[in-house]
Amino acid sequence: MGNRKDEAQFIGQPAKVIQTEPAMVVEWPRTFLHRHTYGKLTPFFKGLQEGRLLATRCTNSKCSENRLWLPARADCPDCHQPMDWEEISHPVIGTIYTYTKVAYGGMGLEISEPYWQIDVELPGVCTIFKGWLRYGEPKIGMKVKAEFQKVPTNTILNIYWVPYEE
Amino acid sequence: MIVMKEGNKRIPKWGRKVFAVAGGLTDYRKRFPEYKLEELVMTAFRQMLEKNDLKIDPLEVKGLVNYAVYAEFADHFQDQLLCEAKVHDYLGLDPLYNIGVKTGGATGGSAVLTGAMAVASGYADVVLVAGWERMDEVDTRTGNTYISFAACKDYETRLARMYSAYYAPMAKRFMETYKLSEETRAKVAVKNHLYACSSPYSQQPGKYTVEDILNSRMSAWPLRFLECCAMSVGAACILLCDEKTAYKLTDRPCELFIAGGSHTLRVADRRHQEIPLLPHETPETYKELIKPGSRYPGFESFLASRMAAWFCYRMAGIENPLEDLDLVELHDAFTISDIQTYGDIGLRPYGQEPDYIESGDAYYINPNTEKPGKCPSNLSGGLIGTMHAVGATGIFQGVECLWQVQQKYDRFHGDPKIWEFWGKKKPEDWESLQIPDRNGCQAAWVSHAGVGSHVTMGILRKAW
Repeated sequence: MGNRKDEAQFIGQPAKVIQTEPAMVVEWPRTFLHRHTYGKLTPFFKGLQEGRLLATRCTNSKCSENRLWLPARADCPDCHQPMDWEEISHPVIGTIYTYTKVAYGGMGLEISEPYWQIDVELPGVCTIFKGWLRYGEPKIGMKVKAEFQKVPTNTILNIYWVPYEE
Repeated sequence: MIVMKEGNKRIPKWGRKVFAVAGGLTDYRKRFPEYKLEELVMTAFRQMLEKNDLKIDPLEVKGLVNYAVYAEFADHFQDQLLCEAKVHDYLGLDPLYNIGVKTGGATGGSAVLTGAMAVASGYADVVLVAGWERMDEVDTRTGNTYISFAACKDYETRLARMYSAYYAPMAKRFMETYKLSEETRAKVAVKNHLYACSSPYSQQPGKYTVEDILNSRMSAWPLRFLECCAMSVGAACILLCDEKTAYKLTDRPCELFIAGGSHTLRVADRRHQEIPLLPHETPETYKELIKPGSRYPGFESFLASRMAAWFCYRMAGIENPLEDLDLVELHDAFTISDIQTYGDIGLRPYGQEPDYIESGDAYYINPNTEKPGKCPSNLSGGLIGTMHAVGATGIFQGVECLWQVQQKYDRFHGDPKIWEFWGKKKPEDWESLQIPDRNGCQAAWVSHAGVGSHVTMGILRKAW
């Protein structure tokens, strides 16, 4: 026979019933914290904090491609060797390859809507770098200049673009 | 990989032939509190076993199953890890082995490919392929953020948390490069919402005009809400088997061919390369297309879709898709991705994709000639009109192709009892979208993930 004074208790909150017909539906709220590593991309994200845009280049003499990558990646997909970091020189000027105006973003979006999301070609880079235009109206082929948040976001949003006139 | 070497180009070949014999669907809805997920799968499973004219008792068919492949896009949505085990037990298939497959939006197609491999290899004679998604546990904006975790979380997700904003830049680029008008894009939405009106399973049927589409709410410019697929709850099942079992089970088996291709998760990372040519194309086809500074596939096209077609056409002996195929079911998650795919799978050469719509070839009845369209697309209503319960989608498309080739469109779409079962009334003006029968009748479907990271193409061919 057990002793009731030691009995286990329900210590949660009752689940809120939000409907009973045609079936019973309850809420199940929760918040989770994830710890996300930037791994070997850490120099890229540190660079953004410091107002520098870093790409990676394959310098392996046996690689057939030796490309410059932005989004940066640590290892070359063509020869599998670690790549070197290379800063894009200031001012960082790119060309708009394409764009959209985001009118309806997902939950937790950290940029005020609506805003222009732009895809930027940079000289010598084999890839196209996605970002956001802080102001102005984009056109394909328009020149833009990279700027950086003064208070670092510590994310990709730390870099943004503004219209550039020579 | 930029240059495919000879070994990479080997055409897939089954160890023995693979057939599809039966399918089952559910209704697809934005919210579906009436059923738990496994209950929805059971409903599709029963339709598959009981309503497809199989020549032996449903429980005896079950007695032939050796293996099950399950398709689910995201554990985030189900909020239940190992859903596969829950469904498998609910269907009463233990202790047979089952496996879960996940390749984003292409999950359903990849599951069919995985099931076909089991039959072709001899591991199994009969395979159940079932898929599902429950996207109604969270609100729409949260759902969009969940889906955006399928973009690159370091470089892309925070820049929109919304998939239409990853497709919209492709739309802008395509419109500028290949002179695609807003009206042509809207016509795809009009067509697919309209065809959904004939389906008792559809979530977003509607008789819209081009103006209605273009006046609908903006998601990410230039894509409007009515150009985007639905978030759905629902399930789909298809039964695959070897040749001997196929003819034992049905008088109308369809031979299955399916292959896939993949490309970078980030559109950004697609380096320029040569266009892999389909059987009916030559280097001359694209002599003028690629100009200095332009890129292939760039933001205009999907290399993964091109490679899925490249392998699948050769595997199935397709010489010219527009001539050889009687129907295509494409992954119209967005109007633009549907249009982009026309070039990838060779319904038109790259650069001429809008003509597949404007010519009327894509319609059940060509609006220009009032005659049957040459190779109609998405008579199911597709993802824009009928459903995108992601894990189920690539199976739903295969089932719609199967029923079309089996000449069972009317049975599964026109029966008032099916409409009533799902609490709907068959429309007074219901129209059949059954494709004509012919020897060698065949239908293809494209199952597509991300911004083109994984794509499968399947072909079902009349085999009786």
